[in-house]
Amino acid sequence: MRIDLDKEHRSLWSRLGKGVRRWQGMGLAHLAPLVLILSISSGANAQGPAPKHDLSGVWALQPAHETSEDDKQSPGGAIPPMTAWAKARYDLEKPGYGKRAAPGGNDPILECDPMGFPRILYFPTPFEFAQISNRVLQMFERDHVVREIWTDGRALPSDPDPLWYGYSVGKWVDDTTFVIESTGYDDRTWLGAAGFPHSETMRLEERYQRVDRDTINFTLKIDDPQAYTQPWIALPRVLKLRPRAEIRQGYCVASEEQAFTKRIREPGALNTGTVPKN
Amino acid sequence: MKKSARPLALVALLVSAGVLFAHHGNSAYDETVRVPIKGTVTEFIWTNPHSQIYLDVKDSSGKVVKWGIETNSPGILTRAGWTRRSLKAGDEVTITLCPAKNGQPVAYIGSGDPGTKVVFADGRQLDFVDKTVEKTVDKTVP
Repeated sequence: MRIDLDKEHRSLWSRLGKGVRRWQGMGLAHLAPLVLILSISSGANAQGPAPKHDLSGVWALQPAHETSEDDKQSPGGAIPPMTAWAKARYDLEKPGYGKRAAPGGNDPILECDPMGFPRILYFPTPFEFAQISNRVLQMFERDHVVREIWTDGRALPSDPDPLWYGYSVGKWVDDTTFVIESTGYDDRTWLGAAGFPHSETMRLEERYQRVDRDTINFTLKIDDPQAYTQPWIALPRVLKLRPRAEIRQGYCVASEEQAFTKRIREPGALNTGTVPKN
Repeated sequence: MKKSARPLALVALLVSAGVLFAHHGNSAYDETVRVPIKGTVTEFIWTNPHSQIYLDVKDSSGKVVKWGIETNSPGILTRAGWTRRSLKAGDEVTITLCPAKNGQPVAYIGSGDPGTKVVFADGRQLDFVDKTVEKTVDKTVP
C-alpha cells in the first residue's frame, strides 16, 4: 500500500493554515503553536485509516501517559508482588534506573549482554516491523536484533530452550490487531532498566492494534507465576510511525563499552558508595 | 485575552518538550541542572551505545582540566542531524551539560535532557531533537 505522505501532510497544514488565518481575524493567531502541539500530540489529525493486516514500517514508542514506580525503559504499570524466588534475585540487582538507581551497578547491559525482550522494546530507539510469508520480523536498533514471530499457525513449544529474545508466535485477531504470544526467555535478562527479574517460563501476550495509519496502541501482559504472584499488566503505550527514520546497526561492543566505563562511567561513580563493574 | 494566552502557549510547548524527552535517567549525573562549559575538543568518539566528547577546559586558575562527556548512540545522534564528523579535535565549543553529582569532570548531554547542547564559536549548534519527526512537518510547510 503506497501512501502519499506529502499530500497527507499538505492537507494537514492546509487545514491548520485556514484555522490560523481565521484566528488571525479574531486576534488569536498567537494560539497557533498551541493548536499545532495539541493536534499533533492528541492524534486528532490521524493520517488515514489503518491498512489491513499490516504493521510494516519503523515505529517509535511514545512516552507513557501515566507514571509508575517502574516506567523508565521498563514495562511500567502496577507491579505485582514478587515471589521469594524473584525477590532474592531482585535484591542482588543494582540498576542504574528506578528508585534503587545508583552509579555503576550490575546491569547486564553494562557489559553489552543482550537486553532481551521486552526490555529492548522500551529502549529509546525506534524498531521496524517487516512481514514475510511465515513470520513477522521485529528489528531493533540495539544490537541489530531480529525477533522472529512465527505466523504459520504453529504452537509455542512446551519446553523451549531459553533464548535471549524468546520463542514467539503471532496471529491477526481482526483486520488491524496482531497478537503475539511468547515464552522461553533466558532469565539472565531484566524486564526493564529498573531490574525486575523474570523466569524462563515467563509467558508474554502482546497486542499491537493499529488504530490508524500512523498509530499502534500497544498492550503487554507478563504472566510469570515463578516470579510474580499475579499477572503484570504493563502500562498501555502508543507507537507512532516514523516513515523517515531508519534502523541503524547499533551493536553494543564489549571492548568499546569497557573503554567507556574506564573513562567516564567509573569517574562518575567514584565516592558514591557503589563500585561499577569491569 | 491576548496577554494571558501567550504564557499558556509557552507552557504547552514546555510541557510537550518535557513529555517527549523525559525518558532518560542516569543516576551518576545531576539532571536537574544545565551547566555551560567552554573548551577545546580533543576527541570525538562515535560508538554505540555511548558516543563521547573529550574536552580540555581551563579552570579559573588557567589549569587545563580534561572533561569526558557521555552522549547518545550514533543512531539517536544521526536522527538528530549529527554525523561522525560533527566534532573534531581543535573545535572551540561551549557545551551545556548535566555534570556528575560527585564533582568529577564527567557529564552527560543527550536526548534525555532537553537544553543540553553543543554550540560552536560561530554560533552553529548541535542538539538532540529528532529531525526525522521534524522533517515530516518542515517539508510540507505551505
